[in-house]
Amino acid sequence: MHTLQFQQAAAPACVLESHAIVEVPLSEIRALRDAPSPAGAPALPPRFLRHCDEHTVVGVRAVLEAIAAMPQPVPAFTRYGVIGAPLQAGRITAAQTLSQVAKAGGIAVSPHVVPQCSLHALASAVSVGLGMHGPNLGTSGGPEALSEGLFAAVSLVRSAGCDGLWAVFTEWDEEPVLDDAGAPVNDPLCRAVAVAVRPHTSADVGAVTFALMPADSAVRRDAAAKPTRSPLAAFAWAIGMCAAGGAIASWVHECPWGADIRIAAPAAAAREARPQSTEHVRREAA
Amino acid sequence: MHVPHTRERVSVITGLGVVSPLGNSFAEVAGNLLAGRSGVCEVAAASGAREGRQFAAPVTSIPQPAGPGCADFASLGRLEQLCLAPAAAACADAAVAAAVPPERIGIVLGIGAEQLKAWELDFLAGGRCVFEPHRSETLVHRIARRLGIAGPAVAVAAACASSGYAMALGRTWLDAGHVDACLVGGCDILSPTAIAAFYNLRALSRRSDDPHKASRPFDRDRDGFVMAEGGAFFVLERRDAANRRGARVYGELAGVGMSSDAHHMVTPCSDPQEAARAISLALADAGLEPGDVDYINAHAAGTPVGDAAEAGAIRLAFGQAADTIPVSSTKSMSGHLVSGAAAFEAVACLAAMHREAVPPTVNLDSIDPACALDHVPHAARPHRVRVAASNSFGFGGANLCLVIRQAA
Repeated sequence: MHTLQFQQAAAPACVLESHAIVEVPLSEIRALRDAPSPAGAPALPPRFLRHCDEHTVVGVRAVLEAIAAMPQPVPAFTRYGVIGAPLQAGRITAAQTLSQVAKAGGIAVSPHVVPQCSLHALASAVSVGLGMHGPNLGTSGGPEALSEGLFAAVSLVRSAGCDGLWAVFTEWDEEPVLDDAGAPVNDPLCRAVAVAVRPHTSADVGAVTFALMPADSAVRRDAAAKPTRSPLAAFAWAIGMCAAGGAIASWVHECPWGADIRIAAPAAAAREARPQSTEHVRREAA
Repeated sequence: MHVPHTRERVSVITGLGVVSPLGNSFAEVAGNLLAGRSGVCEVAAASGAREGRQFAAPVTSIPQPAGPGCADFASLGRLEQLCLAPAAAACADAAVAAAVPPERIGIVLGIGAEQLKAWELDFLAGGRCVFEPHRSETLVHRIARRLGIAGPAVAVAAACASSGYAMALGRTWLDAGHVDACLVGGCDILSPTAIAAFYNLRALSRRSDDPHKASRPFDRDRDGFVMAEGGAFFVLERRDAANRRGARVYGELAGVGMSSDAHHMVTPCSDPQEAARAISLALADAGLEPGDVDYINAHAAGTPVGDAAEAGAIRLAFGQAADTIPVSSTKSMSGHLVSGAAAFEAVACLAAMHREAVPPTVNLDSIDPACALDHVPHAARPHRVRVAASNSFGFGGANLCLVIRQAA
């Protein structure tokens, strides 16, 4: 087992400012597209989401819910960056487009396909819709979206020249089943998890923290059982538990390249210098 | 929050691989850029094309890379070939596998629409992947495995700035000590749907009667960009480590600046403020003043709004120095490599340094007054380039500037 050697292993990289988890059936995304903002959240420009991919609609909603959940006054996010990590975004539109092109030719290709269904689109929509001027970028697009997005966020949060980052992860609970015209024939849930993080400072006490760590081989040896749900669902559960007053002490996401990303609740964060293996709650246990 | 680099944390380029419309090696690309040769040509019209004559800047041949992970290269899809060939070439050029343990090598791939392209190419070949609920491993992990890279592997997308963001993230990992070497870059592929989408967006030039003249950044008669394919990869290492092992150093990735316009998902922002901020951040990151820059490789793709906005950003960021810093857009010759553009244009900056000449903007017959800068029209200009700045901008308001410095 290869192990990364982090210069400051276990030192928190960033703290959680807010988070939200949203799950919406495909059949209800149309309504959300027209009215995305919950009470207490900033308004988006009119019809802002009308051409967006389903992942973007649900991801933006998660960001808005996370903002609405923050204590007033909500900080300005002008100098925040955005990382979007959707898993297979754009497949419904791509299927419909290719189906139409086969019949009608290039005229059937919407000019919105590339800007709204590419990997950057989720992050760009959050940046544009909410006026965030830090860098905005998409990551992954595939089965390792959580690992790639978290690793990028934790490693960029101190170096991207911004005050903090939003990291937004999306996936279908089960992938849409499409007919020959690209129309969905099932009604899967689209899940989004949005977290706002900023660099950790010594003054941060009582905060949920994120840290990059070398892979914990002890945890890996015990982790033979197959995860019972997706990594993003487990992450959603864990971030909620850590944020809810330390219902769990910490949780570790294992990246496939020998690195762990540890989320620690405030109680565990206070003991950060001597993390105990018993504090780890594995995905399998989630 | 911004931490300037210390001397010990300098990131240098020790390996380079390129596959492009202007050649598949550093020497070939540099020669073609400085000779003002265009890679734009008429291409076979794809099924469903809007116009009878189509033009683009294609890659005409993809070299077979050496190595055990590339033995089945001929059987791979074209997108994977376009990525793997320059990635493998960069690793071989740096001889990084012999010097750095696999788990200490990372990879960041800049690619904007990998799955859209993969679904489309499969569909055109008679497949049904796009209709099926299947989640397949992405390109960055396949390339990492083929090249024996066991460190962090992440794909990033920032539209036309994707490969530049990949370079920025890889440099961050080096700075933080997460890796000892990082393969960074990006690539893209011509696809019928993407061409149709950009055509319908009115972003592409429609000068189909004269394809060689179609890509004309900063020109008064520009009418859009010309799509291209290919890309470039680099191996980044810390300078102290590179020097210890006697590695060849092409140049230093001295500064990175990133920002977002937060203006529109598609339309470039006419206000140059945020693009200029990305440039200023990159200069500050490199510890340089505007007057220290010897060459600006502009993003300028040839779109009416985008080129004028970039000229404004350059003037805002560089101030009076903009009057005397040579500026060119190599997209006039290479076309727009989209996800691969930023990395390819970093190759152009290195070419300017190594050949002591600024590549031209061809087809710049009549400079748009809204784009007034120290342009280099038609032919290369002999000029010592120690520091180059390269801009990249993308859909969704992504702004990036890379500052590349001659190796010390």
